[in-house]
Amino acid sequence: MESTAHPQQSLWGNLKDNYRLYLAAIIIVIIAEYIGMKTFHLGSALIVIYPMLFAIVIGVLLGKDILRFFTKKEAKKASSLVLVVITPFMAKVGVLAGANLPELVNVGPALAFQEIGHIGTILFALPVALLLGIKREAIGATSSTCRDKDYGLICHLYGSDSPEARGALSIYIIGFLIGTVYIGFLASFVASFNFFHPLALAMACGIGSGVMMAAASGTLATIYPEYADQIVMLAGASDMLSAIVGIYFTLFISLPLTKKLYYFLEPKLSGGFPSFLKRHKVKGGA
Amino acid sequence: MAMNMRNWTLSLILTSVVTTLMANLIGNKVSITESIPGVLSLSAIAFVGISLGRLIPLKIPPIVYVVMTGMIVASPISPIAQPIIDATAKISFMAPITIVGTLAGIGLDFKSFISQSWKMVIVAILVFTGTFLIQATFAEVFLNVTNTFE
Repeated sequence: MESTAHPQQSLWGNLKDNYRLYLAAIIIVIIAEYIGMKTFHLGSALIVIYPMLFAIVIGVLLGKDILRFFTKKEAKKASSLVLVVITPFMAKVGVLAGANLPELVNVGPALAFQEIGHIGTILFALPVALLLGIKREAIGATSSTCRDKDYGLICHLYGSDSPEARGALSIYIIGFLIGTVYIGFLASFVASFNFFHPLALAMACGIGSGVMMAAASGTLATIYPEYADQIVMLAGASDMLSAIVGIYFTLFISLPLTKKLYYFLEPKLSGGFPSFLKRHKVKGGA
Repeated sequence: MAMNMRNWTLSLILTSVVTTLMANLIGNKVSITESIPGVLSLSAIAFVGISLGRLIPLKIPPIVYVVMTGMIVASPISPIAQPIIDATAKISFMAPITIVGTLAGIGLDFKSFISQSWKMVIVAILVFTGTFLIQATFAEVFLNVTNTFE
């Protein structure tokens, strides 16, 4: 979603229109950094909360819908600036990749291979969506992680008023807030089982969203300090690969697969969870 | 139409450059003067990457050009690799991210967020769980089969 600001806006105009946003953003970052990184144990999982998450919460609270400190226009500007301010982080990811190039080449095939793992979006989510009584919305919602480009693709294919696009938009919106928080927890939780190699987990952080990738890989880097640089490098490389091939993957592989599964499962699971249970009781006979 | 590069640069300086210096000082205890070369290097790489993205007429997300530029600049073929690696190593990788969270939070459409049904929240969580777990599984299997960890 691009900024709709005037393309020829002067530097002075930019300052005049957005000085409140710039100043407030700096203050929010300072507050979030003073709160600092928090780690605590939840069972055997080490949960890591980064200042980024506090910053998101403060930002949402001050936003146009709750405390209304910011205007609608400023909120829109903030959204468009996300794409600007994430670039230095991506530059850092690139530098780590360049500095560890031989290693990256070494794991290149693994990186390419694990991209197929993006079909994982369908695996648990589609059957559960159908059990919950969700219809064609489920196709849009589960065929990808529904980041900007995927949502764009679904709108292009089905029209933005379609159930499919509504489903994708839901995941897009929920994914931003819940997804960013959740993916950090998930990374901690999965890491606590010691089942996966830290570098395999690092590759799994390539979800197609820079913010989520940062949350997940940052958490992993804190849990495995001895692999910290490699984790960020691999997560970044995996995310970059998702960004390049992601839309084609959705178009040619995961979306057709989602549709096939949907039409196969829908008659069996539709009517929601209660009727599914009833049918099984009748069939089971016990 | 995206903003022009002059405005892009001004916005980057007023947001990311300033806050990364702050975040690296408060969160990472690295003085501002010590952080400046690293922050400027990262910003310069970002600037070059985004500019390339605008010049090259391919349908690839601009972020990809930024990562590529960083990779080339820090790779063994680059004459400035070592200074860039040393300067950017002083910047904690989460320091540039706090401002991303801030702006994303401010820009979030909270109204449409709470209007989502709980069912979709469950579906969203399973979408992310699924892709993370299956990608990790595929990576683990591949790395074990090819003995990359040895």
